[in-house]
Amino acid sequence: MMGGFNNHVDNSVWGRAVLMAGAILTIGVVAFAALGLGVGSVKHDTYYEAKDAYYAAMNDPTVSEEELDHLHHEEIDAHLSYLTYWVAGVTILAITTIYAIFLGIGGFINSIQPQEDHGHDDHGHDDHHDEHHGSASPIIFCLGVLLFLMGFPEFVEGMRALLAQGGTFAPGDMVLSTIGLTIIMIGVANWWREDLPFIGHGEQIATSAPFEGEHIRKAGLWVFIMSEVMVFATFFSSYLRIRTEWCTKWAFDEGKCSPGATEGEIVLTASDYLRPGGAAGTGDFWTMLPGAVNTFALIISSYTIVLALKTAKSKDWEAPKNALRYLLPDKKTAVRNYLIATLLLGSMFIVLKLVEWSHLVAEGFTVGTVQGSIFYVATGAHGLHVFVGLLVMLYLVFKADTIGYDEENGQGIEYFGLYWHFVDLAWVVIFPAFYLY
Amino acid sequence: MGEHAATGLEKWLIDKTGKDIYFWNFQVLMFFTLFEVGAVFFEVIPGTDIRITRFMVWAILIVVGIIKGYGIAAYFMHLRGDPRIYTRTALFPVLFVLLMLWGIGLSNPEAITELPSWCTPDWDYATKR
Repeated sequence: MMGGFNNHVDNSVWGRAVLMAGAILTIGVVAFAALGLGVGSVKHDTYYEAKDAYYAAMNDPTVSEEELDHLHHEEIDAHLSYLTYWVAGVTILAITTIYAIFLGIGGFINSIQPQEDHGHDDHGHDDHHDEHHGSASPIIFCLGVLLFLMGFPEFVEGMRALLAQGGTFAPGDMVLSTIGLTIIMIGVANWWREDLPFIGHGEQIATSAPFEGEHIRKAGLWVFIMSEVMVFATFFSSYLRIRTEWCTKWAFDEGKCSPGATEGEIVLTASDYLRPGGAAGTGDFWTMLPGAVNTFALIISSYTIVLALKTAKSKDWEAPKNALRYLLPDKKTAVRNYLIATLLLGSMFIVLKLVEWSHLVAEGFTVGTVQGSIFYVATGAHGLHVFVGLLVMLYLVFKADTIGYDEENGQGIEYFGLYWHFVDLAWVVIFPAFYLY
Repeated sequence: MGEHAATGLEKWLIDKTGKDIYFWNFQVLMFFTLFEVGAVFFEVIPGTDIRITRFMVWAILIVVGIIKGYGIAAYFMHLRGDPRIYTRTALFPVLFVLLMLWGIGLSNPEAITELPSWCTPDWDYATKR
């Protein structure tokens, strides 16, 4: 079960995934209790007090317009403050629950598999696994995704009814997507089972041009990234195409709108709500903050995953001599903790993004408009990529915690890192285009 | 991992500070992100009366985007140290992206009257009719 050259993995190691899932869920419940229920309920009371004060003032003829305006702003601030804590709490609970289900079920499925009988030579090598054979897991996974997406519209209707958001619940709505999710989990669990014992020997090498001599996994990942560039280019070009027709504040000020256009015809973009001095009049330092923090979070997470890879690949790694030695006492722990840091930063990205969305919706920037639709679809697609990356990272953390990464099998981090850096790269384009311009 | 042998300024920085190229790339990315966010926080250039126009914001965002994109792709994604085939693979979609941007121009309501003639070859009938 240990790292190095011994690649036998005992089934009991998968039990650790179930334990990790429990720990993650506990963190989520505690965070929800503290943020959503604790601070959130206090903020909720403050919001209702501010709301009552504003409504009372509206019916009081002695209150001046200036005071009324002040009370209205206080009500809005109190509402946004409440939303911040409530949405943050609910999001943390939701993502940690999904993490726990993903890791827990994957671990559980593998822990109940029949124990494989491994032959070992004198050096601890496992001859059976010296070659990295092709895997059926990606096909199983894709079949699951296909079924899930086929049933997705009904699944959404079913979930809406379950969450009391309207409609009538019919169990049949959930069947196809649930089968899809089950097959996805089986595919993922099988994939983990195949990858966990892999120690870097027998990486498949391309034998023909143009990637001759290169690792097939790496070449495949780059081709995948290439296709992802096209996906994001589609969102971006759609946005640019639509935006050239909008009479934005900037276009209005520079006389670029159609002759006779009035200020009432100005189209408000997301950046008008978020950017200080934006046309919506709602933007200030605090509205820009989540997007700005997220930008830094992604860059820092790109660096932490580079550090995880560098540490894993290092042959003469030494623990730091400063206070960091408590976090990075040895190579195996250091790799795991750098990956956990990446996971935390990515999770923070999702939480802040949903908090920001809740504020935008509360301010009136909804998905029902063209500018809202392209904003939520593009940034949502990016957020989904981040979230999928986080699910994969859960497994990397698990492997780093059990088998461990070293100079032999560190390419697992490298290949995932390519995807993660691409997500960062996409944000480099999305952030200025949608948030700043 | 594709870590390349440092040369020039990279080598000087690494030798002088003892920090690796990833550390310095990270510093550059953080600095330019700060610069990028700062560009929209101010309406005038601090310490001057020069107004930050839409064109200036455009220019800053594009230049900073290119620098950050290069930093991530070249160093974090190891394109500088990896075989050229990976760079070519990464650049392959650029052709399609350019075509998309061209398409934006052609489908714009003002395309016929505003775009240069090389963008709409032999389509001048639209303005002559």
